[in-house]
Amino acid sequence: MPDFLLQTVFNASYAASYMALIAVGLVLIFGVMGVINFAHGELYMAGAYAIVFFYVWSGLPFFVAVALGLVFVGCLGILMELTLFRPLRTNPLGGLIASIGFLLILQTLAVLGFGLRNQNVPPVSQGRITVGGAFLTYERLYVIIATIGLLTALYFFLRKSKFGWALRACAQDREAAALQGISINQTARYAMFIGAALAGVAGAMTAPLVAPSPYMGHSVIVTAFIIIIVGGIGSLEGAVVAAVLYAFVHTFVTTFYDGVIANIVGLLLMLAVLVVKPQGLFGVRERA
Amino acid sequence: MLLEVRNLHVHYNKVAALKGVSLQVPSGGIVTIIGANGAGKSTTLRSISGLTKPSKGEIHFDGQRIDNLPAEKIVARGIAHVPEGRRIFPDLTVEENLRIGAFLRTDKAKIESDIEDIFQRFPRLKERRTQWARTLSGGEQQMVAIGRALMSGPKLLLLDEPSMGLSPVMVQEMARIVSDIAERGVPVVLVEQNAGLALKLASYAYVLEIGTVAVEGKASDLQTNDHVRRAYLGA
Ligand SMILES: Nc1ncnc2c1ncn2[C@@H]1O[C@H](COP(=O)(O)OP(=O)(O)OP(=O)(O)O)[C@@H](O)[C@H]1O
Ligand SMILES: [Mg+2]
Repeated sequence: MPDFLLQTVFNASYAASYMALIAVGLVLIFGVMGVINFAHGELYMAGAYAIVFFYVWSGLPFFVAVALGLVFVGCLGILMELTLFRPLRTNPLGGLIASIGFLLILQTLAVLGFGLRNQNVPPVSQGRITVGGAFLTYERLYVIIATIGLLTALYFFLRKSKFGWALRACAQDREAAALQGISINQTARYAMFIGAALAGVAGAMTAPLVAPSPYMGHSVIVTAFIIIIVGGIGSLEGAVVAAVLYAFVHTFVTTFYDGVIANIVGLLLMLAVLVVKPQGLFGVRERA
Repeated sequence: MLLEVRNLHVHYNKVAALKGVSLQVPSGGIVTIIGANGAGKSTTLRSISGLTKPSKGEIHFDGQRIDNLPAEKIVARGIAHVPEGRRIFPDLTVEENLRIGAFLRTDKAKIESDIEDIFQRFPRLKERRTQWARTLSGGEQQMVAIGRALMSGPKLLLLDEPSMGLSPVMVQEMARIVSDIAERGVPVVLVEQNAGLALKLASYAYVLEIGTVAVEGKASDLQTNDHVRRAYLGA
């Protein structure tokens, strides 16, 4: 493979990884809660700021800071569930609007705590893998590895554990789940913790590569929406496949044309999928 | 009495669905609730299992009042509800559907032997244990729904129209399954539109008409009751 092609594959794999983390979290929350979480980009932002706080300011080792970021953002998810989504359980539109409010609060807190400017996060490693003339930095490789690790763990949790079954059952039929003794409140806490934590990890792991800012959530949320629509709203596998598809198309078009055209092509990709398969690539039938 | 429903009233957005239903279920055998579409049969079962909150009246189970408990606490007390339309989890496998019925149980060894017991009762499910539940036929899905309910180890089973949408052969199979459950010691409340079948299976029957109990009595007596024969048995 020519070097520039391989280089673009490396770049696309990195982009696919963190976008998959974000999109899978968004789908998980939508599945169990029935709410579109508009604050998801800000949970990603909060993960990046956890790195600013724990790694840059407090001087903790990077991966310890990532773990703390995971827990911190996961707890933000639980906070959203307790204060916003639980009182609005029967009102998904209300949940969506409340999540927009939460988004603004998180942005404001980031501005108050850290200022408006972009944060500089010192590199975690200068290392890189070189293959011919193409290279993959360790920082990006860590993101890819973390994504594969976390999504594999999520897969086994959902398929092999009792609480994983409970999560899927709640997403499919809340009432029938209650009849099995599954508490929707408890399940919602799990889903919000996991979904938020995945976005938080994406923000934390990419923080050294993106120079965090309070408004960085905007850049990912639109892409995340495109991805979950292409994948089929409600489908976790779909979110992963669509993240890979989108990232490869977007990265290749950016490399060989430019970023604006890439965004347009991304939207066209979504339209094309919706025309051919309105429920998305892995979409399931309407829920009852 | 294992279950006592006293003067139950249920409203959906101010419209009354139940207007003072009382019924009793002993700790063995089959009690049936029959009635026309919209009579309130499902609403009665949903109130017992906690899916619908009554606006008035009391429900006592095993000597304790349960009408103020949420559904997930009521199943913990020992009431399993196979809802109307089966409501299996389409994107869980057959085996996951059954195991999730045992969600609240911690007796691992007994769960395993109960799973084997279900597979013995429903050999078709064993063959399909790793299949997505949505790929099953209607009759098989009903078996999953019943198996899932039995996996909670219930003291009382509520069945809402288990024969709905099934072929005549499957309906007979379902009748055999329901009698078998009762014979093995789990009392059943059977809601049916197929009144003839229900009255054959049950020992006691309630006839619901627009939210009230119009007739009740021994199932064998109701089979010869003029009103029941004309309105429900097509005589
Ligand atoms: N979720 C609901 N919202 C509003 N009204 C409802 C709801 N569920 C039931 N009802 C009304 O309550 C009454 C009783 O309904 P229910 O489902 O209990 O009847 P049923 O005897 O089970 O009928 P079927 O044989 O058709 O299943 C009906 O008039 C129905 O329209
Ligand atoms: Mg009904």
